[in-house]
Amino acid sequence: MAVLEEPIKGVPLVKNYINGEWVESKGEIKDVVNPAKCETIGKVPISTREEIDSAVKASQDAFPDWRRTTPVARARYVFRLKQLLEEHFEEVSRVQTQEHGKTIDESRGETRRGTENVEVACGIPTLQMGYNLEDIATGIDEYLIRNPLGVFGIIGPFNFPFMIPLWSAPYAVATGNCVIVKPSSEDPFSQLKIAELVEEAGFPPGVWNVVNGGRVVVTGMLEHPGIQGIAFVGSTPTAKYIYQKCGETGKRVIAQGGAKNFIVIMPDCNVNATIASLLTSFFGNTGQRCLSGANLLIVGGDSFYKSFLDRVADAVSKIVIGYGLDESVQMGPLRDVEKKKRVLGYIDSGIEAGAKLILDGRKFKIRGDYPETCFLGPSIFEKVTPDMKIAREEIFGPVMSVMRAKNLDDAIDIVNDCDFGNGHAIFTADGKSAREFQYRVVSGNIGINIGIVAPMAFFPFSGMKESFFGILHTQGKEAVRFFTESKVVIQRWF
Amino acid sequence: MGGSDMKLQTASSVISFSRGLEEESARFYEALAGRFSEGKDSFLGFAQENRKYTKQVEMAYYGVISDAIEGCFAFDLEEGDYALDTKLSEGAGYADALSQAVKMEEVMVRFYDVAAEQSKSLMADVPRAFMLISRKRGERLAKLKSL
Repeated sequence: MAVLEEPIKGVPLVKNYINGEWVESKGEIKDVVNPAKCETIGKVPISTREEIDSAVKASQDAFPDWRRTTPVARARYVFRLKQLLEEHFEEVSRVQTQEHGKTIDESRGETRRGTENVEVACGIPTLQMGYNLEDIATGIDEYLIRNPLGVFGIIGPFNFPFMIPLWSAPYAVATGNCVIVKPSSEDPFSQLKIAELVEEAGFPPGVWNVVNGGRVVVTGMLEHPGIQGIAFVGSTPTAKYIYQKCGETGKRVIAQGGAKNFIVIMPDCNVNATIASLLTSFFGNTGQRCLSGANLLIVGGDSFYKSFLDRVADAVSKIVIGYGLDESVQMGPLRDVEKKKRVLGYIDSGIEAGAKLILDGRKFKIRGDYPETCFLGPSIFEKVTPDMKIAREEIFGPVMSVMRAKNLDDAIDIVNDCDFGNGHAIFTADGKSAREFQYRVVSGNIGINIGIVAPMAFFPFSGMKESFFGILHTQGKEAVRFFTESKVVIQRWF
Repeated sequence: MGGSDMKLQTASSVISFSRGLEEESARFYEALAGRFSEGKDSFLGFAQENRKYTKQVEMAYYGVISDAIEGCFAFDLEEGDYALDTKLSEGAGYADALSQAVKMEEVMVRFYDVAAEQSKSLMADVPRAFMLISRKRGERLAKLKSL
């Protein structure tokens, strides 16, 4: 099978995009490494406090005019961006694979999901509408207007470098705000490409900015009085920190954290379809996503348990590992060697705790001639108990922890004992079991015969417990609410 | 760990493979059109349709692919099962050409049927596109047999 052509050539230096200009940072420069080939594909700056401040100033300067640009006109800018994203669909997808390592199918899926948010934001003249009531008292009318607030910071994670900032940014600008996007410094090229298309779409300077970097940029956003709010996706400790800091500085916030998702298997499930879903759920994106299955909780007697698990293990053992631009590859590398070490630590922990490693991902074969450095095969642990570290903590890698439950009630209790509530799911052919699960499980997103519970762009990306801090969510109508303030007008004419 | 090089398991590899089949088949029909004036219009029409099918499949795939569906695990096809014989010997006549075209179309119908069946609960609109093309090809087979 042919390896698709790489779009990033040479070793380009990523620049910041501030006030409609491509600006070279004065900060320290880091390498961007393709994890499959362990080869430097670019350089990214760790921008300074002055640089984030200048982006905030540019956004503040741009805001008054942008806010006065009509929603219909703003929607047309967003629509041009959507058209450009479609035209560059394949290129931006390959950029993701090259800088992150995920497979090309996964990257195209990410591009589609991100672009769908741009598409939904094109409907802003409808989405941003308020409401009114004539004659709240005789001759007095009342109505609600949704106003933009100003400048928002959007902080993206490494695992979905293209899609996740698009859960927020299109809604923010469509409603009349200006944004500063901080991509992950590990894979900044996807957001760089989006900024190029933003420029081509003709957005006015200062409306959409990109500042690369790390902690200094994040702190600069959190402390800057000119930023009205933050949308963040990342780990739970950082999400908590951001939530607290935004509380201290009076900013509104969406802080999406980590997860530990249970996939409950009922003995009446459609086994063939379930197994294919489990492969994607647990090992898609090499397990590096907050909607990944982590704990496989099997309900049923010994005979079902054994036959089901044997089939899962057999299917998982055949997953093709390699460079994501090879179209035959089903699982790419971990994003970097540190993340691989972390996953290896969890495998050691599972063994020490007494779980049985029935598929050892430390032994694997790579399709093609690539260094092993960031690769790891899929692992399956059996005899995992809910108190074990591998059952409780987010591993963020290709590890499946298998547990058993006596019945559905027992399974729901085990699921609800989890600290996280992001994307638990059940596989069953029984409507009553599905409804019980949906009703009783505490989770922002619930899957019924769906292994990756990723809400579409017109639904909020929810989350509960340690997986989410905030009130409103990214995507769809809730994002429109987040990026606007309600102004109520009561009027009477004498 | 890992499947054979000739297996088509990911959606991307299946879409590329179907594109290759359609293009190879289109070139075959174009070659036939150059050699046999009696079926020229039909052959050129088939070649044009093939490229339309490629677009239909790609539109379905690019429109529906998402991070939440089983794109990397939806198929289990052997590439070798769907090899097309598109080399027509020098001395082959019109009847030989039609017979070879029928065989080729039968392989392609089988490919689309199996691909649709394997992915029907996993890939949303893609199996529908495959089934539609398979049905259209059935009509083409009937036409080829009538020529």
